[in-house]
Amino acid sequence: MNAVFELLSTGHNLLLFTVGLPVIFAFAVWAAGKKDILRTAVTAVAGIVNLIFGCALYFAKAEIADTVKMTGFGLDIDILTDEFSALFIFLTAAAFSVIGIYCSAWLNSKKYAGLFMFYLFISLAMINGAFMCDSLGAMLFFWEGLLCTLFGMLLINNRENYKSAVKALTLSGIADLLMMLGIIITAYIGGSSNMSGLSGLEVKGAGIAGFACLMLGALGKSGCMPFHSWIPEAAGSAPAAFMAAFPGALEKLLGIYLGVRVMTQIYSVESGSAASIAVMTLGAVTLVCAVAMALIQKDMKKLLSYHAVSQVGYMVLGLGSALPVGIAGALFHMLNNVIYKSALFMIAGFMEKKLGTTDLRSFSGLFKKMPVTAVCFTVCGFSIAGVPGFNGFFSKELIFDAALESHCKLNYLFYALALVGAFMTAVSFLKMGRGAFSGKEQLPEKVKTADEKGLLLKLPIIVMSALCVVFGIFNSVAVDGWFACATGAEEKLGGWPHSALLVIISVCVLLLALADHIYGCKKTGKPINAADHIHYAPVLKQIYSAAEKGRFDPYNWINGIAQGFSFVCVKIEQGVSFVYDRAIPGIVKKTGDMLHRSDNGSLSRYLAGVLLGVAVAAVILLSKVL
Amino acid sequence: MNSNILIAGVCTPLFGAFLLVLLGKINQKLRNACSLAFVGVSLCCAVAALVSLLNGNVLAAGPWEFPLGLTFGFRADALAVFMALTACVVSMIIIIYSYGYIKEYPNQNEYYMMVTLFIGAMTGLVYSTNLIMIYIFWEISSLCCWRLIGFYREEMMIRRADKAFVVTVLGALVMLIGFMGVYGEYGTFDLNVLSGRSIPSWCVWCILCGILSKSATFPLHSWLPDAGVAPSPVTSLLHAAVLVKIGVFAYVRLFVKCFEVDEIFTTAVPVIAAVSALVSAGAALKANDIKRVVAYSTISQLAFILLGLSCGNEVGTVGGLLYILAHSVAKGGLFLCCGIVEHAVHTKDMSKISGMIKTMPKTAVAFILCALSVMGIPPFSGFFAKYLVIEAIVQTGQLWIAAVFIVGAVMTVMYLVRLFVKVFLGKPSFPKAKEGSPVMVASVLLLGVLALVLGFVIAAPTQLAMEVI
Repeated sequence: MNAVFELLSTGHNLLLFTVGLPVIFAFAVWAAGKKDILRTAVTAVAGIVNLIFGCALYFAKAEIADTVKMTGFGLDIDILTDEFSALFIFLTAAAFSVIGIYCSAWLNSKKYAGLFMFYLFISLAMINGAFMCDSLGAMLFFWEGLLCTLFGMLLINNRENYKSAVKALTLSGIADLLMMLGIIITAYIGGSSNMSGLSGLEVKGAGIAGFACLMLGALGKSGCMPFHSWIPEAAGSAPAAFMAAFPGALEKLLGIYLGVRVMTQIYSVESGSAASIAVMTLGAVTLVCAVAMALIQKDMKKLLSYHAVSQVGYMVLGLGSALPVGIAGALFHMLNNVIYKSALFMIAGFMEKKLGTTDLRSFSGLFKKMPVTAVCFTVCGFSIAGVPGFNGFFSKELIFDAALESHCKLNYLFYALALVGAFMTAVSFLKMGRGAFSGKEQLPEKVKTADEKGLLLKLPIIVMSALCVVFGIFNSVAVDGWFACATGAEEKLGGWPHSALLVIISVCVLLLALADHIYGCKKTGKPINAADHIHYAPVLKQIYSAAEKGRFDPYNWINGIAQGFSFVCVKIEQGVSFVYDRAIPGIVKKTGDMLHRSDNGSLSRYLAGVLLGVAVAAVILLSKVL
Repeated sequence: MNSNILIAGVCTPLFGAFLLVLLGKINQKLRNACSLAFVGVSLCCAVAALVSLLNGNVLAAGPWEFPLGLTFGFRADALAVFMALTACVVSMIIIIYSYGYIKEYPNQNEYYMMVTLFIGAMTGLVYSTNLIMIYIFWEISSLCCWRLIGFYREEMMIRRADKAFVVTVLGALVMLIGFMGVYGEYGTFDLNVLSGRSIPSWCVWCILCGILSKSATFPLHSWLPDAGVAPSPVTSLLHAAVLVKIGVFAYVRLFVKCFEVDEIFTTAVPVIAAVSALVSAGAALKANDIKRVVAYSTISQLAFILLGLSCGNEVGTVGGLLYILAHSVAKGGLFLCCGIVEHAVHTKDMSKISGMIKTMPKTAVAFILCALSVMGIPPFSGFFAKYLVIEAIVQTGQLWIAAVFIVGAVMTVMYLVRLFVKVFLGKPSFPKAKEGSPVMVASVLLLGVLALVLGFVIAAPTQLAMEVI
């Protein structure tokens, strides 16, 4: 590892190997195209090479600095890999090495496999670049560059069904432009555009705008409200491989990385301050609203996509508390989410491959046909629901703790909302898990049999599921080891939760969810409809109906505002055109006609004109003299 | 020798243009090749000037003394070289594109003559060291613009050409009054002598009038969307890549590099630019004519350029100049792509066009590359320009103007995505439509790739832009 670190720290090698090499691999996988074995082999090799670099960077515990000249004025690529950024490069590499293989295997025999993998590797290069940059402007260069690959991946095979691609580009584009403004304002008030030169800026005056724009940009990338709505849209049309890689893992890493930097390093945010409450509110709203939508979904990918948004809400809630326990919870939850959420999306993709659909209404009782998948799903489902012992339980408990301990008057409300989120998460996963794997065996209409063949698809799922257990048992490795550099906590936060009361409450919430599920099953007769009594409850029914029509979708609001504004602009434009096309030519013509008519040979008229001219000249002269 | 290079760079296209009419009567291919060659000479001269500049020598021709204190001359400083290179490179690609586009229309001799004459006027303008020379070249460019917009000779098109001519010429006349005011104050039109002098605010307003009319800035912009009736290479050359840049070039030449102007203009001009950016972006979002959308986009992006240049700080000037470069390449490409689509389907109404990516994938790729650059998305060159321009206005402390321009940038994303989606995605409405001729497709792909590559080698143009300040 030391030799690799030495290699990376020489000249521009860091940039060449962590950004340049993935670009080369991108062209290699593109060239491999439909040659499935070759493409997957290249992907595996690339993943391992990238992981070696990631390990070398993180475990060397030393910094590398480099600069590549661009335009100056904060846009030069200033690189500084400190412990925190190296950790994220390592985590991304680890996640990519697993997800990459799954993606390549999932794309077998697909026409667009090479191009998709090309975009994926370019994305890896961009993400590595973003983590390494000390300069915020250069980080934005890599960060915003992801828009191109995002758009490309969503458009693949969807040229006639492009809504999600357009939505993603628009919403992410807005978030990135806000971030650009945030970066520029932050650099302006902080006197430096390098993160190492920015420390503890106050959130007041221009700092409010800088902080808000930066956080919206960062959290928008991770799928937080209000820039989230492309994710469920994409779930309907994008390949499952995309969902596993992007909303499932990579974007979370990127968004939370910057969020933590902003909250803990660049700005000074006190727990209980207005900034802290604002971020916590954003988190709480995201987690409750998104999970509420997940609850009523009947399609696996769509349900998971809402959970992908909802889980970000937990991270943001923890982050917003501005307490070490909250930061640790947010980071650990991010890690856990990368593990179980990508695994769940991979499971959905696997089932889509085998069954041709992810519509939960069209299949059930698949435990016997797909036992490994069912077990993995159960493990991941337990993790995301926060069942004690699994990794998600520990990160959620840290966040619950942070919500309660935050120094604001709304702390109980935030805690209660987090519990509501946990309840609905458990209910929706019970519904999905039992709907898919328990009960009487039923396959989709056109599918005669289903099996679990496909080692390369299953292996990443098994690895990720195993990690859910591993990080449950050894949670302190991550919490007190890896993330200590960001939390600055003096006490140990890992291990079994400190408050037995909170654990009891969490367990009660899970039991309540189970009871609700049993009640729902009895009422409707099917696990898949077990949440219908919530969906169609008075008032909630109307709210859900409005939500399903897109009434609460910020994208539609933005579009509506833009259309309204455009209407006004068109009217202004028509007014201006009227002046040029009608008014001025009309005045000129009428003046000409008038002069023409007055030119009739009458001496008295000419004399009157002369006198009028003399009078005007006299008035002007007199006004000058006087 | 030095002076000959600049004289050749200006005079070859300027006078060679008239020769093209004769050549066209003999051999059309020879005429086309000569048109390209004349602009090529200008490009070579600009490259020679750049090399000389990098060696620390500024090429100059003149000054030639005339009565009444009139001194004429050419000077290839960093700003002039930057503009000449940008204009010549994009113009050459557009001329190559024209080979495919114009071949089936009448009046080709006049077309090539006017295009070449226009480029000659542009190079003359950027090298000029005298206000009167700037004015003369300015008006020559307006004349070319007038003939080229009315190229198809239909009544409505001629009316629109007249409109463009009247607005820009009247603007230029008001600018001339401003120049006279400067002459009245200091007794000279020579920019070298006037450098660092303070001029009265009324003169600044008059000169601004000319600049804003040429650079199609609200409320003097109305001629530009209407000029979309011209052939696509014309709209690309005049209304995206070169002509509209004359105004912003004049802004740098006069108000950044030469005169001292009142502090109020560092607020007034950005405010005008902000209104222009928003109104035109809003109009672009509703327009259905594909070239009209791109034309409104030009007005909006020109406002970004003006914003950068008017901030009065280094970062703004560099950002504005990079914006000129990035926008010339990308917007030129967008207009040409629209031309290919229009050529294939014989309509500009986007509500009637869809799914063109299936029948013309290369054009679609070129379009999206150029569009991403105009949106300011990395790694395209437009990103750097947009970032620096916003940074410049934030540095002046006018955060609300920065916020308005961010809204403008958001709308840029929205209307360009809408245009791409409507024209290229969805079910193909013209399944039998074909790609443009190889030369046309190659031109747009070249511009698209250039927009991307410029992002990676942005340090080079930045260095030249830094020389300007």
